[in-house]
Amino acid sequence: MEFLKSGIKTVLGGTEPGQQPSAAETVEKLVDRVYSSTLLEDRRDACRALKALSRKYRIEVGAQGMPPLVQVLQNDGQDTEIISYALDTLCNIVTSEEFEEEADNPTVSVNVGGQFTEMFIKTPENVTMIMGYLDEYDFRVRRAAIQLITLLISNKTRELQDLILVSPMGVSKLMDLLTDSREVIRNDVLLLLIELTKGNSNIQKIVAFENAFDRLFEIIREEGCSDGGIVVEDCLILLLNLLKNNSSNQQFFKEGSYIQRLAPMFVLAEEVEAGWSPQKMSNFHCLLQVVRALVTPSNQQQVVTACQRVMQKSQLLNALCEILMSSGVPADILTETINAVAEVIRGDRDNQCELSRVMAPSNPPRPAIVVLLMSMINEKQLLALRCAVLYCFECFLYRNADMQRAVVQTLLPSSATDVSSLSTGQLLCTGLFSSDALANWFSSVAIMHTLVENVALKEELLRVLLAPTGGQRPNTLLEMCTNLMQRERTRLQSKVGLLMLLSVWLAHCPGAVKALLETQGTTVYLTAQLCSNEHDEREFLFQGMCAFLMGLCIQFNDNSLPNQRREDISQLIIKRIGQETFCNKLGEVSRHEAYSRACKQAQIRAKCAGELLLDYEYCKLYKGLEALIAKLVSGFDVDGIELTELTLSSEASALVSQYKGIIRGMDAQIQTLQQSVKELDQENVELREKLSEEQSVRAQLSDQNTLLKAQLGATGQTSFQRQETSQDREEELNTARYQANMYFAENIRLTKEMEMLRQHLASEKQRADAAQESLLVTQKDQEDLLELLADQELKLASFEKNTTSKSTENQSQTHSETALLEGVPSETASR
Amino acid sequence: MSYAYLFKYIIIGDTGVGKSCLLLQFTDKRFQPVHDLTIGVEFGARMITIDGKQIKLQIWDTAGQEAFRSITRSYYRGAAGALLVYDITRRETFNHLTTWLEDARQHSNSNMVIMLIGNKSDLDSRREVKKEEGEAFAREHGLVFMETSARTAANVEEAFINTAKEIYEKIQEGVFDINNEANGIKIGQQHSPTNPSLPGSGGAAGAANSGCC
Repeated sequence: MEFLKSGIKTVLGGTEPGQQPSAAETVEKLVDRVYSSTLLEDRRDACRALKALSRKYRIEVGAQGMPPLVQVLQNDGQDTEIISYALDTLCNIVTSEEFEEEADNPTVSVNVGGQFTEMFIKTPENVTMIMGYLDEYDFRVRRAAIQLITLLISNKTRELQDLILVSPMGVSKLMDLLTDSREVIRNDVLLLLIELTKGNSNIQKIVAFENAFDRLFEIIREEGCSDGGIVVEDCLILLLNLLKNNSSNQQFFKEGSYIQRLAPMFVLAEEVEAGWSPQKMSNFHCLLQVVRALVTPSNQQQVVTACQRVMQKSQLLNALCEILMSSGVPADILTETINAVAEVIRGDRDNQCELSRVMAPSNPPRPAIVVLLMSMINEKQLLALRCAVLYCFECFLYRNADMQRAVVQTLLPSSATDVSSLSTGQLLCTGLFSSDALANWFSSVAIMHTLVENVALKEELLRVLLAPTGGQRPNTLLEMCTNLMQRERTRLQSKVGLLMLLSVWLAHCPGAVKALLETQGTTVYLTAQLCSNEHDEREFLFQGMCAFLMGLCIQFNDNSLPNQRREDISQLIIKRIGQETFCNKLGEVSRHEAYSRACKQAQIRAKCAGELLLDYEYCKLYKGLEALIAKLVSGFDVDGIELTELTLSSEASALVSQYKGIIRGMDAQIQTLQQSVKELDQENVELREKLSEEQSVRAQLSDQNTLLKAQLGATGQTSFQRQETSQDREEELNTARYQANMYFAENIRLTKEMEMLRQHLASEKQRADAAQESLLVTQKDQEDLLELLADQELKLASFEKNTTSKSTENQSQTHSETALLEGVPSETASR
Repeated sequence: MSYAYLFKYIIIGDTGVGKSCLLLQFTDKRFQPVHDLTIGVEFGARMITIDGKQIKLQIWDTAGQEAFRSITRSYYRGAAGALLVYDITRRETFNHLTTWLEDARQHSNSNMVIMLIGNKSDLDSRREVKKEEGEAFAREHGLVFMETSARTAANVEEAFINTAKEIYEKIQEGVFDINNEANGIKIGQQHSPTNPSLPGSGGAAGAANSGCC
């Protein structure tokens, strides 16, 4: 300080004792000196003094000093000392941090740094100039330039990002600094890059292109991986910036085999006696975030799938599971690890299987998933951890019918489970009926996820019976759930959970609808809820969910219960609640803030237990069916006739699809008949060929026969002449006769065969004709049905027309009436 | 997957000449007739074999629009190869080649291999630029030339692989400094043991070989 004072004194000249000049005056003098001094030393001293003053009198120095400082930067580039003073001064001016020295200065407003930043970057060349000083190797200059740019970016991120993008090789130049052998510089560049890459995918891509991943992994390794210091954390934060929501970089990261380099960092040392230092926890947290950035459900599906596969192959998932089951891991890290595991396995069969195989080192050994669920229903566990477990369980079941089935199986009575070992089903039931409202909620949602998009299991789960505490008959799970929901003292959170479970259960499953309607008092309870006039916000949500459940009872009703058909329930709504009120209450769900919160992401997030109300999958279901139910309910008439277009067309579409089915069946029939006709034709042709062949053989034979006869005749003549040789001739004749006889016999046989073949052919022809006939009949049938279909459509149209014409008639009637009332003579009203 | 070398490519050229389609055809072997405009830069990768060696190609497909030009420039320096693409059915894309080339030469390292590509060779009926013109331009500026079709996949493989061959030859000649990653070339971990005949991979390689047998 002494030195500074003397410095100022030498620069400003001695001042009269007792007559302190004001800060503004001093700064003015210094600025003057920077401008006008011809000697470099004088300018340098003035800059040094400005730097010293800038911490305490930031406004004065900033307001007056910026132009001269810029001038120094433009002209005095050769002198590193003066440049470093100028850069340091600018840093002090633009920083958003408040200095101790200026704490008692009332003129310093909160955002003075931001305002000076704005002034400075108004001339874009200034930024380019500072970027230029990055090339200067001198430590003080380079470091000050880096710091200044960092401060500028953090104050005006968007503007600076654009300026750096257009400055030639701007990003590349910054990346080069990451290889500076001086650690301080390297670390400062890391901070700069963290600021620079925030929310700008183009810069993120360039940084990644400039080998950032390689370089970062090198630094992380040099610094001791997750055991390293804050520099490791900085590297990981930068990595996270580069990967988050940037599919191109995610792909590059995967293709560059960087996941494989990430994996070993999750392997914990055997003995962690020393516990986890805060720094290690931060590092690990970031590491887990990096993993999640690659596989989070909002990423491109193909990237997620590819990364999940690599994470399994590279043992990263395995290492994460190890962490889950190892002791001494801080709850915070454990929670984030569970979340990471959840996203790594979500929707990937192999990975889900891998988790199902992990065993906890407990006695007796239990599957990890069971141990996790135990913490979920444990009241004493941290909320975040319990949420993470539910999320993990959801991801475990996501798009995996086998896993869903396996969980439901543990609930079924038939499964011979070992009584001593806890099953997932048992745990979930325990949670469902425990006194902890949160455990109820978690368990309902967990069971709900075994049913998502799986109608077969919905049917299956109906078979689940639970033994009550007393000696009464066992109840089904569905009955238990509805009873629990109706109980007075059940808390709202549990009720919401149960309603979600029931809604997902009922959707697309008429069997479950039937079972619910058969449960005593359910419809009455739901109606009562909808009629009640509570004005609590959470009560509104509950009522909306009740309305939704009731709507599902109509939508997926197969009309198999005599007094609980679609029309019956609709009438109940019309008479007791009112269609308007019903639709209004139905809409309450989507108006609740919990709805928008749950819709945002699959992960379950809650700051406090009370925030846990709606689930992502339930919201998806609600979103898909709300409009349908509203239309369905408002489409019923007081007389029970469904009259809106939608209900009509849905009815009609069922009819149409039915006819389509019939037509399709007939088409198939026609096709088979055509096929058989073709085959018969073929056979016919073949037989004809055979016949002609036989005929030609016969002709040959008869030719031969006549020839032989002629020969015989000839020999008879000659024998007359030569009687002496008649003995021999007789013999010859005999043989010839014999032969002739033989030929005759053969001839007869063949004729017979031919006759037979002819008969055969005729019968085949008959069969073919019959087939053709039946074909014609079916074709006619089809035509008839088509006609019927057209007829139906005509009817539909006339229905529509009727309704419209009725309404117009009504209108016209009122028109004419009013006309009469007004006494205006109307020619049209000629009645 | 391990590789002997890794090359970084960029694809440049006017908007709509089919850069993204070329990349898609090369990496996924499919053609997408309707493609959105590339925003900034997209990434793709594939493994090829040259001279019995596995070579990984990492390809950055840039946006051709003028608005993204300053972003695109950042990619020249770190690339070992560039595919400069024009559309044979649009004369102006050919006319702009000089600008592209100047830009590339100014910002890239001097050894970057540039392959000139006349794309859409399947649309011969609408051709505006003769093959000879492309050849002449390439000769004049010392580029390798090829006409391709991302639709029919004609010459697409060859374009990428020939560029890699050229780079590979330059490495063999010692033109490229392979230890400087800023050149867009990286050596894989398994490089030296695979080819004992390579000069320079002496005793250590031999030892490694005996190690794995």
